Amino acid sequence: MKESLHTLAYAGMLGIVCALLLTGAGRLAAPYRHANEEAERVRNILGVLGVPFQEGASSQELVAAYGLNVSEEERGELTLYFYADREAEGSFRAVAAPFAGQGLWGPIRGFLALEPDMRTIRAITFYDQEETPGLGGEIGSAWFQDQFKGKSIEDAEGNPGLRIVGGGGASAQNEVDAITGATMTCGKVEEMLNATIALIGEETGADGQ
Amino acid sequence: MGSNAPVACGVCEGKGLLTFKDGVWHDNPISIQILGICSALAVTNRLANALVMGGALVFVCAMSNLFVSFLRTVTPRRIRMIAEVAIIATFVIVFDQFLKAFYWEMSKQLGPYVGLIITNCIVMGRAEAFALQNRPVLSVVDGVANGLGYAAVLAVIGFIRELLGTGQVLGLTVLPPDWYTSNQVMILAPGAFFALGFVIAVSNMLKGPEPEENRP
Repeated sequence: MKESLHTLAYAGMLGIVCALLLTGAGRLAAPYRHANEEAERVRNILGVLGVPFQEGASSQELVAAYGLNVSEEERGELTLYFYADREAEGSFRAVAAPFAGQGLWGPIRGFLALEPDMRTIRAITFYDQEETPGLGGEIGSAWFQDQFKGKSIEDAEGNPGLRIVGGGGASAQNEVDAITGATMTCGKVEEMLNATIALIGEETGADGQ
Repeated sequence: MGSNAPVACGVCEGKGLLTFKDGVWHDNPISIQILGICSALAVTNRLANALVMGGALVFVCAMSNLFVSFLRTVTPRRIRMIAEVAIIATFVIVFDQFLKAFYWEMSKQLGPYVGLIITNCIVMGRAEAFALQNRPVLSVVDGVANGLGYAAVLAVIGFIRELLGTGQVLGLTVLPPDWYTSNQVMILAPGAFFALGFVIAVSNMLKGPEPEENRP
């Protein structure tokens, strides 16, 4: 009985001390961690919009560049990030929209940036993905992302939609090559991109605004 | 190992230097005990990663040994292992938070491996095998020594892999790409096995053969 009490008291005390240490560390680190996370988010948006920034820029510099160049706009369930053109009032150089969905192993998140015509793809980035390294994980590599540049989110007849085609058969203005051995990942990516493209179409209308 | 003359050191009961040498060399956790090689293989594609991981282990091993040893007389035997894990996990998370706050890029590079130190056999092993039987200061010496032994092996593997795999050391190009074509396999998983095998072989060669019956 006495032994059990001792065990219980020991476990309780140890738990309290460990919990206090962890809470303290978490509290102290939180502001820095949040600043880093915000800088990371901002860096992704700046990168996909093509806003120039220095490679080793600090979090404050990134956030400053973001505040200067980018304006966020809520459109229904879509948040659009406009890269403002500071030389021409009211116009913008690019716009980015987030997309997200379930990949093969975990969530995939990224940004799709369009030119001001709202049809041509300026850039794409997948900043969060856990696909199979060497196969689906190739969506994170430059060759896969670069082939989206200059492609259209509409086919020749003006129907919205992007296709990721296998067998190296991408030829139309809205087609990109799939990754060999990553059919599942490519299918899921195509699905989430088209969902976002449809949303962009709904929220901005066909006239580009 | 008993042949070394104990060096006087008040708080360490004269066993400080011996304990230190054991951890770093004679009983090196990786090259002799072959413990903790999961992370040794996973994070050594860059020397910088290997050094940070080594630093993490020095910190965690020293702190957990200190606390386990400090509490060794009051810890109920039945729950000692879960208590050790709780202590180890606390310090691992503290280190992880520190990295996330001040070395964000490094924290992203190491990914889950910092958290996985909780399950690193070296830390648990030292707590069970050493800290439970020895005084706090000597336990800290043991923790630091084992952490350094791990860090040293990781640094050598990281150095070999980064040099042969990318022609760089700590991100600085030392082998110009004109006459050295970097060998991609060294930064992939097989390269880690080659480098680890090489390090263990060399350290065994330097030590010379040791008959089984001489081992304690």
